[in-house]
Amino acid sequence: MSDIKKYLVDGYIPTIGIECHVQLKTNTKLFAPVSNDAKGAEPNTLVSHICFGLPGALPVLNKEALKLSAKAAFALGTSPQKFSKFDRKHYFYPDLPKGYQISQFDEPIIIGGQIKVQNDDGTTKTINITRAHIEEDAGKSTHPANEAYSLVDLNRAGTPLLEIVSEPEMHNAKEAKAFAKELWLRMKYSGVSDVDLYHGNMRFDVNVSVSKNPEKMGIRSETKNLNSFKSVEKAVDYEINRQIKLLEKGDTVVQETRGWLDDKQKTVSQRSKEDAHDYRYFPDPDIPPILLTDEYIKDIEDNLPIMPSEWRSKLSHVGLDNQTIEILLESNVEFESDFLEMLINNKSNAKQFANWIVNIEVPLLRETIDEKKTIEINNNSRQKIYKSVDELYRANKLSSNNAKNLLTKLLRSEELPNNITDYAEKQGYIQISDTSDIEKAVEKVMADNPKAVEDIKKGELKVIGFLVGQVMKASKGKANPAMTQEIIRKKIK
Amino acid sequence: MSKINREQILKLARLSKIELTDEEVEKYQTELSEILDYVELLDSVDVSGLKPTYQVSGKTNAVRADEVIRLQASPDELKNILPDSQGRYIKVGRMI
Repeated sequence: MSDIKKYLVDGYIPTIGIECHVQLKTNTKLFAPVSNDAKGAEPNTLVSHICFGLPGALPVLNKEALKLSAKAAFALGTSPQKFSKFDRKHYFYPDLPKGYQISQFDEPIIIGGQIKVQNDDGTTKTINITRAHIEEDAGKSTHPANEAYSLVDLNRAGTPLLEIVSEPEMHNAKEAKAFAKELWLRMKYSGVSDVDLYHGNMRFDVNVSVSKNPEKMGIRSETKNLNSFKSVEKAVDYEINRQIKLLEKGDTVVQETRGWLDDKQKTVSQRSKEDAHDYRYFPDPDIPPILLTDEYIKDIEDNLPIMPSEWRSKLSHVGLDNQTIEILLESNVEFESDFLEMLINNKSNAKQFANWIVNIEVPLLRETIDEKKTIEINNNSRQKIYKSVDELYRANKLSSNNAKNLLTKLLRSEELPNNITDYAEKQGYIQISDTSDIEKAVEKVMADNPKAVEDIKKGELKVIGFLVGQVMKASKGKANPAMTQEIIRKKIK
Repeated sequence: MSKINREQILKLARLSKIELTDEEVEKYQTELSEILDYVELLDSVDVSGLKPTYQVSGKTNAVRADEVIRLQASPDELKNILPDSQGRYIKVGRMI
């Protein structure tokens, strides 16, 4: 930590480690052949004797969950362990009917790895991964107000998760957020997870401590179950400040689990049990160990989809700047789109296309989601729309405003017109570049505004803009503004 | 002889969410200590140079395809064996 000074807050060095639970993109649960798709399902309809932990039930590992975890290893910058095994982690809670969670203790599928994150100032920082292991999720419980009971839904019990643990190598909230976001991108682009944060596909736990001594970390708190990048950032900041205040008062930080209250923007202590971490792990006799062959591992590596780092370099090669690239990478995930492929395939128009994606299509997609009528644009139609509009724009047939309007109109339309040029003409998007037409309009506007013409002649050249505006207005926006200006200048000279 | 003390039994009971009477604590203290004594026999075997055994079946990679299978016990049948329920939920003692 050579650059430790830049991290100091009131003389303290904050240190952050992150644990992240990623829901693997499988059809069925980790150990039961039962559907995983709990979204909107009635409680306890996606359950089996295995999920209920009935005596004699035999859990059998889902092949796909294993494969996705092996894939995740490459997404985390390493390769999977050839040998790994499953263990029982014991605790008694109503959302875990077996009395133990099947997890991986000392021989996890992933050991090591690293992730490079982009800081706001354009620099990068490498954060090491300690390990990642496969485990099953627990059920979901609700606690009706003023009642003496709780209600349990086991639909989620047994959902396959990969728990990724980072080294405590982040030192401020921005780095924590950047790490969470990079993890999110990588899990999506590798195809490991759907990464739908709203539905809890990724949940972050942040371990935060502060210390005046760079050699020795302070006592940490763990804030669990954060489900957005913003809450990761806010919870880390909150904890740093809370702990510094405690220490400055002469109090000590308690090692405990905390929860984040989004409405109050603060963390609160959750009951901490002295024995909470006495899980009495032992190898699960139901699940034989896993041995991955070199061929299996190589096959996964060879078939890895394009990862964010590779997209970054491809997109930067077609001339896009870093900020645009990051927006594109994220929007592409947010809207399950295929923007990136189109940009790579259209190198000469990539900048213009990227500009329209970021400023027109993405806001449009967001807007239509708010209107609850998602528009689906397939890659072929998108490419056709962008190419045609760009062609017209380059040929000076569309003003930049009308290019945007036409693009919006086409993206919104359910059926594409056969000939976009004809369509643009009929709908009145095409600007007039015919000199004689513009000249007529200019003459009329000059006749109607003699004072403006006088002013220009006296040298107030700004007023030309006003006349151009009048011509645009008269032509309903169709006159080519550059040509209009040129004609006005000529006529007044 | 008592390898396991009273506190260890109480801790184990707490972790297992089991209530024990004083007589039971004493009884398990004796019984579990005897079991440990017996298992300790294993210490007399020289295992240096051996890899740990996680499984005696000798199996590896016991996996299944990622497909939904219609199982013998339906969710409704499972619901019927619950000690207590409310609608489709499992009803349990208040957790928090």
